[in-house]
Amino acid sequence: MAKIVVAEDHEHLRKLYEVELQAEGYEVVLARDGREAIELAQAHRPDCVVLDIAMPGVDGIEALLKILSADNEIPVILNTAYASYKDNFSTWAAAAYVIKSGDLTELKDTIRTVLAERSQQAGAAEA
Amino acid sequence: MITPAVSRQTTAFVLAGGEGQRLHPLTRIRAKPAVTFGGVYRLLDFTLSNAVNSGLRRIHVLVQYGSLSLARHVRRGWAHLLTDDLGEFVDLVTPQRTAADRFYAGTADSIFQNVSLLQDERPDHVVLLSGDHVYRMDYGDMMTSHRERGAALTIACIALPRELCTGLGVLEVMEDGRVVGFQEKPADPIPLPDDPSRSLVSMGVYVWETETLVRRVADDARRRTTHDFGRDIIPGMIGSDPVYAFPFRDPHTGGPAYWRDVGTLDNYWQTNMDLVEPVPQFNLYDPDWPFYTYRPQVPPTKTVFAMGRRAARITDSLVADGCIISGGRVHRSVLSFDVRVESYARVDESVLMRGVHVGSGARLRRVVVDREVRIPAGMEIGFDLERDRQLFTVTPGGVVVVPEGSALGEEPAPGAIPAG
Repeated sequence: MAKIVVAEDHEHLRKLYEVELQAEGYEVVLARDGREAIELAQAHRPDCVVLDIAMPGVDGIEALLKILSADNEIPVILNTAYASYKDNFSTWAAAAYVIKSGDLTELKDTIRTVLAERSQQAGAAEA
Repeated sequence: MITPAVSRQTTAFVLAGGEGQRLHPLTRIRAKPAVTFGGVYRLLDFTLSNAVNSGLRRIHVLVQYGSLSLARHVRRGWAHLLTDDLGEFVDLVTPQRTAADRFYAGTADSIFQNVSLLQDERPDHVVLLSGDHVYRMDYGDMMTSHRERGAALTIACIALPRELCTGLGVLEVMEDGRVVGFQEKPADPIPLPDDPSRSLVSMGVYVWETETLVRRVADDARRRTTHDFGRDIIPGMIGSDPVYAFPFRDPHTGGPAYWRDVGTLDNYWQTNMDLVEPVPQFNLYDPDWPFYTYRPQVPPTKTVFAMGRRAARITDSLVADGCIISGGRVHRSVLSFDVRVESYARVDESVLMRGVHVGSGARLRRVVVDREVRIPAGMEIGFDLERDRQLFTVTPGGVVVVPEGSALGEEPAPGAIPAG
């Protein structure tokens, strides 16, 4: 079962991601901000991290860089309500950029794609 | 030369972060671009002078190992040449440890870790340069070629004999200049179609579309690679991005221009020797293309004793200020500031760094002596390489390198074991 760390500062959204992603068959670890996401990514070694960007304290962009710095093979998806962060060069290091929506179809599709790419890369590295 | 408008939209990064292991012991306490060259320059001065003379005035120098010497030199020699109020600068950038909690893991990583600089400046183009090559180049011509071809990346290149290309990046280029192959440090370099004895090598001078550069280093940042432009980034762009070669030619003759990668001690010595030729291939004396540096406040060089065997003689040499050649002979050599050569001493085909003292009757032949070393009276270096090897570095080409801090001719302290 793939393990995903999800960082989101709004409690009701955290609950939504937990329920919906568990229903997809993922093990979900929830973080309330970027700092928790960094700690949980190191502790759990997840298959993927989903980060909101606008969070108090350590935001999603800082967390993205710190997570990649510790292990650059964990794919990180930025999941934000704002398109303007795409202009920030640092966000280009993310595996994907998803505009946040109540309908999680795009996020789920992106997670599937990113995990497939990850296992493909791992297979290529082993071969 | 580029126009002021293009200059404002261009950021230059000079990569000066390598350890320079192959230039050890000259790089023991300083970064390779900080190594003295040609008597009065540091290697970095050539790239920075090319940049400034070309009209590039927004320059980040990326450093990490042994950066103190480089920082001091840039502060003394370069900071005042560029004007902050006009948006000009030369900044030394050490790893900030904000984007990643580590030193630079490779050339591409050094750009990725500083992507916030590009975020702030938002240039149209980025010029990437190496900080340790000796050449004279107007980057404006290359930028014009880059824009006219609609390139994502333009790589400056030069044809060299194939046997010299195994340590460099080798390009395969179509007639229209498009790069269709790139080998990093190949055992068997691709030859030129019209000259099987030579290959086209990358000079480590690149013009990038900013967004292409950022996209590539950001992608690379999440992959298991060596984070190196030559090994990882450029080969991945061939065939998918418009990558073009820019052949570097001498602006006066149209033929191949002078370019040296001072990567080894033998190259370092030979490149210095190139300067002492009666008509050197590399011209330091063109007032239209000055090479800037920091010069200490020292008195003029002086020669003493005009007559007889004690006459001072300096022939086919470069001598910086502050030296006193007192009855010794200097031939085909490069002397930095404040060197002393005493009576009856002979210095041939040698490179002496700042403050070196050659004692009376000493003889040096094909020797590089680092800063402040005192060569005792009567000592001979460069005549018996087996003996020299016991004390110094001797290169494959037979050049002896005497490192900084060498205590030569000193008596062991009382009670010391003499051999140590």
